[in-house]
Amino acid sequence: MKLLQLSPSDLRQQLAGEGVWLRTGPFSLRVRSRLPHVAEGLTDLYGQFEVRNSRQAFADFHVELNPPSTLRRWFRPQVDFSFDGTLPFKPLPLDQAYPMLEWGLNWCVSMHAHHYLIIHAAVVEKNGLAAILPAPPGSGKSTLTAGLVLSGWRLLSDELTLIDRKTGLLHALPRPVSLKNQSIDVIRAFDPEAFINRASHDTAKGTVAHMRPPRDSVLRQHEPARPGWVIFPKWEADADTQLTPHSKALTFMFLAQNAFNYSHLGADGFRVGTALIEKTECYDFKYSKLHEAVAAFDRLAASNQTALS
Amino acid sequence: MARFQIKPFEPEAVVFDTASGDTHFLAPLTLELFQIVQSNPGLTADEMEAALASRLSLGISPHLSQLTEDALASLRRIGLLEAA
Repeated sequence: MKLLQLSPSDLRQQLAGEGVWLRTGPFSLRVRSRLPHVAEGLTDLYGQFEVRNSRQAFADFHVELNPPSTLRRWFRPQVDFSFDGTLPFKPLPLDQAYPMLEWGLNWCVSMHAHHYLIIHAAVVEKNGLAAILPAPPGSGKSTLTAGLVLSGWRLLSDELTLIDRKTGLLHALPRPVSLKNQSIDVIRAFDPEAFINRASHDTAKGTVAHMRPPRDSVLRQHEPARPGWVIFPKWEADADTQLTPHSKALTFMFLAQNAFNYSHLGADGFRVGTALIEKTECYDFKYSKLHEAVAAFDRLAASNQTALS
Repeated sequence: MARFQIKPFEPEAVVFDTASGDTHFLAPLTLELFQIVQSNPGLTADEMEAALASRLSLGISPHLSQLTEDALASLRRIGLLEAA
């Protein structure tokens, strides 16, 4: 059963009671919340995801978003994120309940899913090969990811690259794409049909909203992808679209430094990471116009298809 | 298991130190010197420089001496070479 088949009142009731069981990529979660913002966010963005009766299904992560049980909630409403009954974060303003759910879920995966090497990077796929997009905040990574998945690329993730330690394949976690500040309007202009939910303002990252993942990406969420490229995107005003080779050794060092669990995995993290780099082409990518950037990625995917045929 | 796991990505390399858990980037010259040190333990600095010159088909020069000294210092700083 898909989440969109639940009526809004059933969803609210389940969230406030036993919780809603959701499948996102290789992980299952049980979400509980009495907050309308959370129900609204799930309705808006997770309609295509599988739900089950939370009393009968095992969940990897049990999370809850509710107001703290202190008097403070009466004069400055807040929200707590709890994981298995513990509070890993300080409370946030109530308006940030939905982004807090997304950030909290990223934390759950990055702190616990050690059967993957997990890198802080977006992943998109076309014609059977995936492009990993690592980049510091402000580089235009999420904007580019959104533009690509609105143009026929499959979303694997906008934040977490999950590298299977046994196979080296990339596993999909096609949850909503996080958009910040100007990128919200950039994506609205790029594709007026894209669904972007209600923005939360004054967060630690500025104004944040989430884009609904494409239906096809959700339907194919159990299909892993072969790594093809590691591409460092960088948005620069007025820059020409340009793809230039990047040192493989330095690419590896960047990925290791931006992995959530590289140190935890020790020598195996090194083995998995270097095997990934060996199989991929590494590039720097500058762009200023999103349409041109998408066209450049399409050419890359087409050249791969030609090489394979 | 060997203490150092090296993965070359020509002309550079990355190395994992199983003793410290640290990972390091090796620039081309430093990589050459590290490989010399690994396969010929106990060389003096002058001998390492001579081996490096031979490997790179270069003559001994003050510039190469300086580069060798810098690369050795870099290897010592990141723990891939014990201080003399």
